Amino acid sequence: MNSVLRLLPRPLQIGLTVILLTIVGAPVGYVFLASVNTDLAVAAGEFWPERVSVGNYVRIWSTVPLGRGLANSLLVAGTVAVTCAAVAVFSAYVLVRHRFRGRRTVLRALLGMQSIPGTLLLLPVFVLFATIGNSLGVPTIGTRWSLVVTYLTFGLPFSTWIMVTYLRELPGELIEAARVDGAGSWQILVRVVIPLSWPGLVVAAIFSFLLGWNDVLFASVMTDVDTRTAAVVLQVFGAAQEGGAIPPYGQMMAAALVCAAPVVALYLAFQRYIVGGLTAGGVK
Amino acid sequence: MTVTDPATADAPGTGDARRAGVARPSPPRRRRGATAGGAAVWLLAPGGLLTLTVIVVPFVVALVMSLLDLDQYTFRQWLSAPFVGAGNYVEAVGRTSLPHAIWVSGSAAVIATLLALPLGVAAALTTHRPFRGRSLVRSLYLIPYVLPAFVVGTIWRIILQPDGVANQGLATLGIAGGLWLNGPKSYLALIVVQAWSGWPLVYLLALAGLQGIDDSLHEAAALDGAQWQAKLRHVVLPLLRPPVALAAIISLLHMVNSFTLPFVLFGVPSPHDVEVLPVLTYVESFQNLRFGLSAAMAVISLVLILVPLLVYLRTVRLDAPEAAA
Amino acid sequence: MNATRALLAAALALTVAIPVTACDTGSSAEDGRTLNVLIAANTIYPTEQKRWFADVSAKFQQQAGAKVTFETFASPTDELTKIQTSMLSGQGPDIYALGTTFTPTAYSTGAFVDLTADQWTKIGGRDRFLPATLGISGPDATHEVGIPFSSRPFVMAYNKELLAAAGIDKPASTWDGLRQQARQLTGAGRYGLAVAYGDGFDPWKFIWAMSIQAGNPLVSDGKARLTDPVTVKAYQTYLGWLATDKVVDPAATGWKNAQAIAAFGAGKAAFLPMVSATSKVTLDKSAVAGKYGYAVMPTVPPGATSLPPGGVGATSILSGDNLVIAKYSKNQDLALRLVNMLTTAESQEAYYRTFGELPTNAELANRLVADPALAAIVDSASKAHGTPFHGGWSKVQLALVNVVVQSVPNLAAGKVDDTSLNALLTQAQSEAQAALDKAK
Repeated sequence: MNSVLRLLPRPLQIGLTVILLTIVGAPVGYVFLASVNTDLAVAAGEFWPERVSVGNYVRIWSTVPLGRGLANSLLVAGTVAVTCAAVAVFSAYVLVRHRFRGRRTVLRALLGMQSIPGTLLLLPVFVLFATIGNSLGVPTIGTRWSLVVTYLTFGLPFSTWIMVTYLRELPGELIEAARVDGAGSWQILVRVVIPLSWPGLVVAAIFSFLLGWNDVLFASVMTDVDTRTAAVVLQVFGAAQEGGAIPPYGQMMAAALVCAAPVVALYLAFQRYIVGGLTAGGVK
Repeated sequence: MTVTDPATADAPGTGDARRAGVARPSPPRRRRGATAGGAAVWLLAPGGLLTLTVIVVPFVVALVMSLLDLDQYTFRQWLSAPFVGAGNYVEAVGRTSLPHAIWVSGSAAVIATLLALPLGVAAALTTHRPFRGRSLVRSLYLIPYVLPAFVVGTIWRIILQPDGVANQGLATLGIAGGLWLNGPKSYLALIVVQAWSGWPLVYLLALAGLQGIDDSLHEAAALDGAQWQAKLRHVVLPLLRPPVALAAIISLLHMVNSFTLPFVLFGVPSPHDVEVLPVLTYVESFQNLRFGLSAAMAVISLVLILVPLLVYLRTVRLDAPEAAA
Repeated sequence: MNATRALLAAALALTVAIPVTACDTGSSAEDGRTLNVLIAANTIYPTEQKRWFADVSAKFQQQAGAKVTFETFASPTDELTKIQTSMLSGQGPDIYALGTTFTPTAYSTGAFVDLTADQWTKIGGRDRFLPATLGISGPDATHEVGIPFSSRPFVMAYNKELLAAAGIDKPASTWDGLRQQARQLTGAGRYGLAVAYGDGFDPWKFIWAMSIQAGNPLVSDGKARLTDPVTVKAYQTYLGWLATDKVVDPAATGWKNAQAIAAFGAGKAAFLPMVSATSKVTLDKSAVAGKYGYAVMPTVPPGATSLPPGGVGATSILSGDNLVIAKYSKNQDLALRLVNMLTTAESQEAYYRTFGELPTNAELANRLVADPALAAIVDSASKAHGTPFHGGWSKVQLALVNVVVQSVPNLAAGKVDDTSLNALLTQAQSEAQAALDKAK
């Protein structure tokens, strides 16, 4: 059974895994080695630390408000991820299963919007939010929700496309069968489509999560001291004092790994939803 | 995660409330059945509204800016900045290195994407079937994509500096590495680093796509006695084409618009060989304070990207195999 | 209609969601008695900076009954983005701490308070400050936006052991002399100079210094003078150190300032020009701790043995931070009170003791001259010279660095190619002039 489903012969599988892990691992390993090295040695391009010290992993928490930054990031990116995946699956379902005028245009426009550079939109988006805030009397700039709304918008086109690509491949018979059984659209969506789309949903969620997680451009102007995200907080480590002390490279690397950890852990937890075989979804 | 700040506790409500807002419109649709079009379209409204405020309106504002002589002297009262019509566009094409930058960005993005595709697909293939430690390997593959761009830039800058680890390694092989962060070879460095940080996106999509393939297809292929190469070529890869094509487009767009990575890797001003578009528009806007000119540059590049993209999209199948019509 | 109901439901969900989540925002400036200050994040003294923020806040609360909140930025571009968005929206920090060379650009935006005589009085008067530090506050003494806050003059670190071993008693005071000493000190895996050719800022400071010493301030009367022979000579000298004199590690083509400091710190270079006093923090942790000293950089231009007529013996650009007050601020008087508090001799001494940055307060600065450890740095502070005060200066700066960036491939090949250098300078000149012409 397993051999039937195997895609690659065992030696090739092992060889490729080793190669890929090396490609990922070599630079990441360097990040780790640098994180336990001294700043001067890192600046000098030293590979193996002469003296290993884990002090950087302690110092990062007091140099910058990293804990609060991580909490903000998790909150913002998490909200974006969940909302984005949910909205995307609905939109994609409508776009794939319903025919209406302009449907193709909507789909193409969605992707077209992905090509607008963020730097072009930064100032107008900011001004727009500030204006809305001033005229409605609600705080916008500096709040987490303004950031959530922004990322949600940037994440939606791509997430919708992922779901469109995914839903499109769902066998129509499954849906027809459900309909024959008397299920309405809503039930079909919740009972048939969503359970079958987990792999796509996880990818859409991960993508939109990372959008919020890694963005610096919008977060740096749209947050204040309390709502600053981890990516913005991290930037401080790259700052060199003009003509003076070198940047705290060791802490930068340590903080980068610490900030990558939650995402990797989340994926580790969620990847069990990326399970193979549509028929395994058990809707028959 | 523990929320230490009590004030933040109500924020997850955002997600719930919005999801409810989107989900609630569904029941009305039930009555008219899945074939109805009109009402279903309204499901797209929340997304449309967001898109309008965060993308469309700001984009129109940016278009207006590109027609103004907007710089640090006129910025404060930007609406009364002198209107120069196509002036910024003429200057962008004729008197800046915009055409060169478009070429550098575009070609590097294409090559880096072509490098990332096989890596991503291979990674997906190796983690498709279960094995001990698969979940860990799957997660490790994600790391380059998860590290913040400026850290990726910083680490590669240190690796690639003239006396850095890369050249030390090459020297032990008897190769003189030379200059990677300036001069002709910096273009290679740009491609390699972009591909390195971009391939997990392809992997994510390819993996999800692989999981969507019906097991019975594998069984059918096995019954036909197909070897793995044949199965891969005739069954698996064709089915992977849509998600991988999507991954290719998205990674292309990301790489063309990637700012932080080249900015940190090569610094500003950019060496000529890696003078990429986003850094050029950024410098024009945030260092030279020529906002109008910068907006015009971004619009030109946007159009140049959009045209081939839309042409390509016309060839993409948008419908489900048997759409319920 | 179904559609309308769907839309209403969506709108309702949104309007419910917004106020709920809006509650978690920090309440700033609600009572008009809060001042927001934007200042550079200090990565070498992060905890000290936090304590300083708290101290200032507590003291100001006591003095003026108002709160001060500090926001930090990581890079100059970060700050610029913040300034732009704040200017456009009319909300943001009340006070900004700006780098000196950015003050002309900030002035040209017209977004900051042009201090009146009355306002100067409120912050203790112009006399409170070292005259040299006021050199880049505005285009002239009656139009000033920048209030000098801290001073970071550039000096040159040198390795005392290496110099002594080569029989050199003190660093040269001319650039030609420095090159000669660097030649003497190069060898056995060591180099005379550590210079960051790959840095985004360092190169222009060298070119500016050598040019103004030879009588060319690079910008005068709205005209750029980048192709002036003395400037060409400056480039040839600066690039020549690595390419032809071979007194700099060839790897320096890729160095940023940090790598140059690391090389000096490892004892691989004898001189480290263009560093500020904050380099002490790094160097005291390096292999050369206790073996190095600071001296002012040469003040006699390349090719000369004494300062030529018209030349200015500048040791450094006028470097440090100015405070500016935003015009959109609704708390300008309060902001002036805070600035007054921050520039008293007492506050400045606390700041200097904490961060090692020199004061701008004249009374305190004159007291510090007596400290021998600071001699070179204080000396440089008094001989520092302001860069041209022009709204287009940041473009000139960028054009100057660009010449070096694009020369790096030639540099790595061991040559200073005059043809390509001239071509690059001609291009830089026209770009700089175009930026200057746009001034309004």
